[in-house]
Amino acid sequence: MIPKRISAIKFEVLSPQEIRRMSVGKIITPETYDDDGFPIEAGLMDPRLGVIDPGLRCKTCGGKAGECPGHFGHIELVAPVIHVGYAKLIAKILNAICRECGRILLKDEKRDKFIEEIEKRKKLGQDYEDVVKEVFRITKAVKKCPHCGEEQIEIKFEKPTFYYEGEHRLTPRDVRERLEKIPNEDVLAFGMDYKAVRPEWMVITVLPVPPVTVRPSIILESGQRSEDDLTHKLVDIIRINQRFMENKEAGAPQLILEDLWELLQYHVTTYLDNEVSGIPPARHRSGRPLKTLAQRLKGKEGRFRGSLSGKRVNFSARTVISPDPNLSINEVGVPQVIAEELTVPLFVTEKNIEIAREFVLRTEHPKANYVIRDDGKRIRVLDANREEIADMLEPGWIVERQLMDGDIVLFNRQPSLHRMSIMAHYVRVLPYKTFRLNPAVCPPYNADFDGDEMNLHVPQSLEAQAEAKVLMAVQEHILSPRFGGPIIGGIHDHISGLYLLTRGIKKFTKEEVMSILKPLSIEELPEPKEDGYWTGKQIFSCILPDITIEFKAEICQGCEECKKEKCEYDAYVIIRNGELISGTIDEKAVGAFKGIIIDEITRKYGNEEAKKFIDDMTQLAIRAIMNAGFSFGIDDEDIPEEAINQIREVIANAEREVERLIEAYKEGNLEPMPGRSLEETLEMRIMRELGKARDQAGKIAGRFLGMDNSAVIMAVSGARGSMLNLTQMAACIGQQSVRGERIKRGYTYTNRTLSHFKPGDLGAKARGFVKSSYKEGLSPIEYFFHAMGGREGLVDTAVRTSQSGYLQRRLINALQDLKVEYDGTVREQTSGMLVQFRYGEDGIDAMKSFRGKAVDVKRIVAEVLNKE
Amino acid sequence: MLDRRSLARAYFTHERLVKHQIDSFNRFLNEGLQRVIDEQKIIELDIPDTYVKLGKIYVGNQAIAKGPLVKEADGTKKPLTPAVARLRNLTYAAPIYLQTIVVDEGKELEEEFVEIGMLPIMLKSKACNLHPDNIDDTIMRARTDLDLSLNDLSSMSYEDKLVLLGEDPIDPGGYFIINGSERALMTLEDLAPNKILLEREEKYGEKLEIAKVFSQRAGYRALVVVERGKDNILEVTFPQLPKPIQFVTLMRALGVETDQEIVEMVSNNPEIMKFMLENIEVAEVETTQEAMEYIGRRVAPGQSREYRLNRAAQVLDQYFLPHLGTEPEARRAKAFFLARMAEAIFELALGLRMEDDKDHYANKRLKLAGDLMEEIFRVAFLRLIKDVKYQLERAKVRGRPMKMSTAVRSDVLTDRIMHPMATGNWVGGRTGVSQLIDRHNYISVLSHLRRVISPLSRSQPHFEARDLHPTQWGRICPSETPEGPNCGLVKNFAEYAEVSVGSDEEEIKNVLFSLGVEPIRGG
Repeated sequence: MIPKRISAIKFEVLSPQEIRRMSVGKIITPETYDDDGFPIEAGLMDPRLGVIDPGLRCKTCGGKAGECPGHFGHIELVAPVIHVGYAKLIAKILNAICRECGRILLKDEKRDKFIEEIEKRKKLGQDYEDVVKEVFRITKAVKKCPHCGEEQIEIKFEKPTFYYEGEHRLTPRDVRERLEKIPNEDVLAFGMDYKAVRPEWMVITVLPVPPVTVRPSIILESGQRSEDDLTHKLVDIIRINQRFMENKEAGAPQLILEDLWELLQYHVTTYLDNEVSGIPPARHRSGRPLKTLAQRLKGKEGRFRGSLSGKRVNFSARTVISPDPNLSINEVGVPQVIAEELTVPLFVTEKNIEIAREFVLRTEHPKANYVIRDDGKRIRVLDANREEIADMLEPGWIVERQLMDGDIVLFNRQPSLHRMSIMAHYVRVLPYKTFRLNPAVCPPYNADFDGDEMNLHVPQSLEAQAEAKVLMAVQEHILSPRFGGPIIGGIHDHISGLYLLTRGIKKFTKEEVMSILKPLSIEELPEPKEDGYWTGKQIFSCILPDITIEFKAEICQGCEECKKEKCEYDAYVIIRNGELISGTIDEKAVGAFKGIIIDEITRKYGNEEAKKFIDDMTQLAIRAIMNAGFSFGIDDEDIPEEAINQIREVIANAEREVERLIEAYKEGNLEPMPGRSLEETLEMRIMRELGKARDQAGKIAGRFLGMDNSAVIMAVSGARGSMLNLTQMAACIGQQSVRGERIKRGYTYTNRTLSHFKPGDLGAKARGFVKSSYKEGLSPIEYFFHAMGGREGLVDTAVRTSQSGYLQRRLINALQDLKVEYDGTVREQTSGMLVQFRYGEDGIDAMKSFRGKAVDVKRIVAEVLNKE
Repeated sequence: MLDRRSLARAYFTHERLVKHQIDSFNRFLNEGLQRVIDEQKIIELDIPDTYVKLGKIYVGNQAIAKGPLVKEADGTKKPLTPAVARLRNLTYAAPIYLQTIVVDEGKELEEEFVEIGMLPIMLKSKACNLHPDNIDDTIMRARTDLDLSLNDLSSMSYEDKLVLLGEDPIDPGGYFIINGSERALMTLEDLAPNKILLEREEKYGEKLEIAKVFSQRAGYRALVVVERGKDNILEVTFPQLPKPIQFVTLMRALGVETDQEIVEMVSNNPEIMKFMLENIEVAEVETTQEAMEYIGRRVAPGQSREYRLNRAAQVLDQYFLPHLGTEPEARRAKAFFLARMAEAIFELALGLRMEDDKDHYANKRLKLAGDLMEEIFRVAFLRLIKDVKYQLERAKVRGRPMKMSTAVRSDVLTDRIMHPMATGNWVGGRTGVSQLIDRHNYISVLSHLRRVISPLSRSQPHFEARDLHPTQWGRICPSETPEGPNCGLVKNFAEYAEVSVGSDEEEIKNVLFSLGVEPIRGG
């Protein structure tokens, strides 16, 4: 068969002839089924329109249900009606043409100029809408027809489908007659192609009846048929149409005919769109508004967004995720029950037929679920037919075998905001019912384990599997195209573990070293130091490949002059030839987003080596932290009486300072800051004063907690939390704010925040300064202000999530057709239109950049120097 | 020292936590029902001198049960207990009876007490079979199998009696049972009606001050807006007016004619008086008569003069500040109110006053179960009146006796009450007003019954409305609000919060008068 290719799609308005031509029959009776339950000829369920009941055959094409695509019928309307979708355009056209001769209200030369302009723009692929708009604007103002001299009366359009010429209402027939009179050449000036759209086709005389396959009836449990909303609406249209015809033939009074005409218009309008403003929506008997044509297309669940842009797939699974540090980062633990349901096709050839046969014969986990014969028939493999199928098996068949260890699958967590949200993992079939993943891959998915669920997809073709392995595997995404650094790396305990291991000089006995290195495949231990012990730095060096690098660690205090390897905080990391000489390993070294070591390994040895390092590093870190022992509890925030007194002192001083400022403000002695009002100055200075006090309190608390405190370790190493969190727990929570300001709303009529204060109180306490710490507990007033500040955060998160989703959707819709070509240009896919001469205008692949920079001069220099 | 625990225990009774629900419903039973009837007074028919006089309304058929009852398939009626209603998917509702007298062409017929429908009854309310006053009676009638005497009951605790009726003794009540499902009415938070709210608004780059009032009367809400336009000219907008009209015109229409009177009514602050004089200068009309004609031309253009004047008067009385009254006598009071709005606007413009904070709890009112029931009862009753009118007129035409008992179709009112309560779709298009009670655990029930919902849309940010406002201290819980799109819009009462149920306006007026306040003399 020669494959057919679509070269272009052209949208036209159906002409009455076209509708009749494609119709298989005129529909005249509103009845659907007769008493025996058979569809009535010339009814809405006419068997020529297609079949939906299994077993029956289509009277037009002879196809069975599922084969026959359905065929259109048509209804001859007794009188024309306006198509709501075009009502506005019709109004514009009516105002642009002569009410007498139907010519456009422009001199021929002028008209031709417009047509020329439209043609020109069309050729250039530009928008010509504003030209058309201009045509309508000019013609509307014309009072007298330049062709026949007839005076023009402005036509007023009234939603949804009414036209008034002065007081006189135009019937759809009048409208159609006028539109018919427009010559083809004039139509062009409206930006319309008269072959595709004759204006009068926008007034419906023949209504196409969609095939039954488009509006299938469903059979309720009670055996009753329930018709589709479209069928209901069509019944209404036919019924009114028939009544209209009868009345007309019987010569009923004009008034009645007009009423019926209007009713017909109403039904056709709601058939097309049931959410037109200005008329009540047609309702089902139960009062539910009907879902008619426009409603099927519109909105999130509509045909475009719901059915075409979004699809449902087979060979996928979804469940809760949980961590498993024993897995490699490119593995995913798949529950047994899921592995037994999902299948991978095995294409039987002469070479693998024995393997395939074995799968078919197996009765346990990696067995065959289905077999697809070469004629496409799918057979379920059961105990009863297992051996029979195995015998019949021959090349060309497909065996669908269960998912097993080593298969490649795609793993995804919504929202899929960047490409790292879908990555390929290798399967590890595990017991229990959750997907397991290495916690180091949480950052790219932005996953945690508080009940998150993730999706898994099994690629079905060899091409897809190969592509997944080569392009989508986790290790291919260690470096993020977002900022040119690693997005996969250690988190939480990995960081505090390595921090504990490598900080300073820690000594480990052989037993300890062996226990820490147990999960890794280290063949030889390094030489112990002179005293027979190993240092933490030596242990960490075991997993390092041969790299040489120097950098300041996260714990670096930022001294004015860096003492490098003599750093008293052990914050200057030096790695020489895969040996950690000095410095502490922390977030800066191995963390996701920051990890310089991971970055270096990836660039020097590639993704595979980096993957191995991350695997080893996570295992090592967890062993190390378990060896050291690590816990955190409320009494870790205990600070001595002395510290509490100091903190109180600091805060009391700040409060006095605030009072002083307020005093100065009231007396008018406050100097306003440049560009600020007096009030703003006061607020800023108070905020600064109180912020300073909190920082000081935090410093005091930090000093008394010491560097061995678990919370401090986590904060400084970058594993979790910050010194600010610690300050708030141990010393002072600080100023609460709403939209960046101190609390100022409240009992405004008496000018105070709460009735606990005196009117006009601007003091720290009255405006939401919380001097307690979380551990001490808050006073009721403090608690309330804290809740105010907290509420703002809650609202912000709630509002932001919905907004970012919408923004993402718009961005993707705008950019989806752009592609970077092999020549480095960015082009629009279909037209080949050039968008950028070089990708990003600098031609840099962000993923291969050094944190955004194309060339890292320092690195190259260091490398060269090192070689010498 | 006093043992504070006993104090706390005494305070934290189960009844107290849902007291607002029950109090509000009781008030509806006591006053709301009768108020709706009294608003109508009569059912007028399109036949001269023929109407129906409406009298007192009663809940419950004392002969069968004090509260809700069930009509069995065989037609017998029995007292209904909540436990039975839940198990049999029944509605816990009591019949309501209305005292009526048909006046047929000037001739009063016999007084009738007709059952007009069934009213869902809140558990533990006054009309509930479980109410301490009713429970003995209920047990005697519903548990005849136990063969108890009133004497036996008098020695039993209330909790034990509840158990006899299959009820959880610590269930708080305060909700309804509709078709067997327990439904609670949410408390709705709304901007205070009949209160002047000052706002600043920017329109076409110009800052202007506006004063808004949601004037509310018997379910009808009319928004009246006074706006300070450019050149300090005040304009007023209210329903039925196609375009804003000048403040002075409206004052004159309300019967305040002279320049001096208008200015003095607004303020005696010289600066404001200056503003007022500017207004008077550009006035379009000089007299009340002219003003009425002007309004008539606006509200009924192209009609006859007589019709226009009538319509102007009608619009003025019905749609302008209806909370002050809908009779022509109220016009002077309305003029005073309008003048107050004008004064407030100028004070805001001069910086003598601040903008009103819409989220200040003083500017909020809560609509409780009773108010919500009154709303649907009013709508349902109006519907019933329409139906009765139609039935009676038909009876008259066909020569059948004009009997209320045959004219009232019992389902008309009942359906209109049951449907909103079963679906939560209240009149005015509000959804989620009645909700299926959250029975996950005991606490969640209490929390659900104390929920406050703001009708603001959840799709818009509305940052300020979602904030925890200091005036919510002691009224709304600072912590309990859902995360997500409803954050800060769905709230809960604070632990100690109590909701007052409102008091009689006349009583307050009398107190004020006795304190020396002078009433506004009708113009």
